[in-house]
Amino acid sequence: MKTTARSPKSKEHRSKLRGILGWPGPLVARVPERGIARAQEVTGIGTSPANLLFARNVSTPTRTRSCPGPAVAGQEAKISSATVPDRRYIPTIMSDPAPLQKTALFTAHQKLGARLVEFGGWLMPVQYTGIVDEHKAVREAAGVFDISHMGEFFISGGGAPGFLNGLLTNDAAKPGVGQGQYTLMLNERGGVIDDLILYRLHDAEFLLVVNAAKIDEDRAWIKKNLPAGISFSDRSDATGALALQGPRALEIARAFLGAAWPEPKRNEITSHSWNCQPILAARTGYTGEDGLEFFFAGEIAENFFFALLEAGRPFGLKPCGLGARDTLRLEACLPLNGNDLSEKRTPLEAGLGPFVSLTKEAVFPGKDILQKQKSEGVKEKLVAFRLKEKGPPPRPHYALFQGDVQAGEATSGAPSPTLGYGIGLAYVKTACAEPGTPLELEVRGARVPVEIVKKPFYKRNS
Amino acid sequence: MSNIPEQLRYAASHEWIKVDGDIGTVGISDHAQHELSDVVYVDLPKAGAKLAAGTVAAVVESVKAASDIYSPVSGEVVEVNAALLKKPELVNTDPYGAAWLFRLKLSVPTELAALKDAAGYKAQVGE
Repeated sequence: MKTTARSPKSKEHRSKLRGILGWPGPLVARVPERGIARAQEVTGIGTSPANLLFARNVSTPTRTRSCPGPAVAGQEAKISSATVPDRRYIPTIMSDPAPLQKTALFTAHQKLGARLVEFGGWLMPVQYTGIVDEHKAVREAAGVFDISHMGEFFISGGGAPGFLNGLLTNDAAKPGVGQGQYTLMLNERGGVIDDLILYRLHDAEFLLVVNAAKIDEDRAWIKKNLPAGISFSDRSDATGALALQGPRALEIARAFLGAAWPEPKRNEITSHSWNCQPILAARTGYTGEDGLEFFFAGEIAENFFFALLEAGRPFGLKPCGLGARDTLRLEACLPLNGNDLSEKRTPLEAGLGPFVSLTKEAVFPGKDILQKQKSEGVKEKLVAFRLKEKGPPPRPHYALFQGDVQAGEATSGAPSPTLGYGIGLAYVKTACAEPGTPLELEVRGARVPVEIVKKPFYKRNS
Repeated sequence: MSNIPEQLRYAASHEWIKVDGDIGTVGISDHAQHELSDVVYVDLPKAGAKLAAGTVAAVVESVKAASDIYSPVSGEVVEVNAALLKKPELVNTDPYGAAWLFRLKLSVPTELAALKDAAGYKAQVGE
């Protein structure tokens, strides 16, 4: 059997080196009066916690009666033996072609017996108990994923909305303070550099959450285009993040964070504190379920993670790896950059037209190409397809045929744990893209019947 | 800690073989099935196929990926385990029993000497 185990041997996560330097100051809601006044003065906007959390100029140390310092010491989450099973299989060390990065939760994953694999330059848990088991937990109860490898950029300044409108496809003027928006960053040819979520934290301050493998490229692209007067800060290294997803995710968050937690509505982001440390909670995700994405300083990541697992255990919460994350997002037809999105494909070809504003005034890279493509129609489209009968699961790069003519190529594929048959996404010629079109998938030289179906494969009842 | 039966021979690529006369039965180890987890599909060789040692003989697919399975020795396939086409999950539950993959008639029996015994394989997987 040919295995693809990778070495867990790599540099410590860079957040360890940078410490807390890159993370915004303490939660300002707990800062003495003077601190709040300063925050307002600096930002010139309201006093909602979401705004204040990211007023970086406020750096007054926080010590209040309700939060004795040091903030985290002595308040570590109790970890029961049920939360931390015996250490299971860790891949055999084979070779180490490039040093892999680790998130602040790396040792937590080891304690939980995760199987660790390379993903986008990071050593990440692919599974804890099993992909199908974790997938079902998210569909039926809840799962929590380490997404600390993702990038967090902060962009601020009076001209920030205008700058972002000239950088990203969606209309950055639309989200109000505390709202998020799915959007894309394109190259001059209209190809996708990255897909990301933009959160408006202040009138003129934004958080961009970007794909892990694209952090360096995104940062370089943004900095290359950054005008004077707009500040850019990459805090990916210092920021930990967890996605809590599933039909019971909100119940768990309420139990975990208490009644004072300002619950965000769909696509919203709010700030709160946990153990006297600032956290952000966004009602977003990548699984097709309701849920939240939490952002916090890397230093509190492990305590936050174990405490959340403990709080969620009565609700059926399980730690979940990238394996389940991939099958969940595939069922929901959420594209994966590097597979379904690339610099050679435009968002219109990927079916992401609703996240591209061609009517806004601002000119973003690739806009002219997309306008042309929209008026002429796309030649190929990203479609969903399923196996017609029991057979080998589709995988990326498998060819699709209509008779003897190649109709396209799969970009994602897996057996669907929810549906019980093989599913995939593929770019196919527009003439073959209609739901109901029968095609053949080539698997190891043999042909397997498939059918184009309407997206998504899975939609939650809500 | 995976199960590594004493009476079998093992390839470094995680296949096991049990020899009875000149017929060898091949499967994948408990360690291998655990590493793959959630097996959902198995592609088997055709009866009559002539396999050389170390060449791809079958494919076992988990949720995550397709893995090539190599023939530990050379020979002609005499029988395949059709039960796996309907119940691929047997690879996870009974890797040394019901989930044997294929049987072959050994053409170069001396190749068996190059395979590991249980202790050697145990040392390889670090258990």
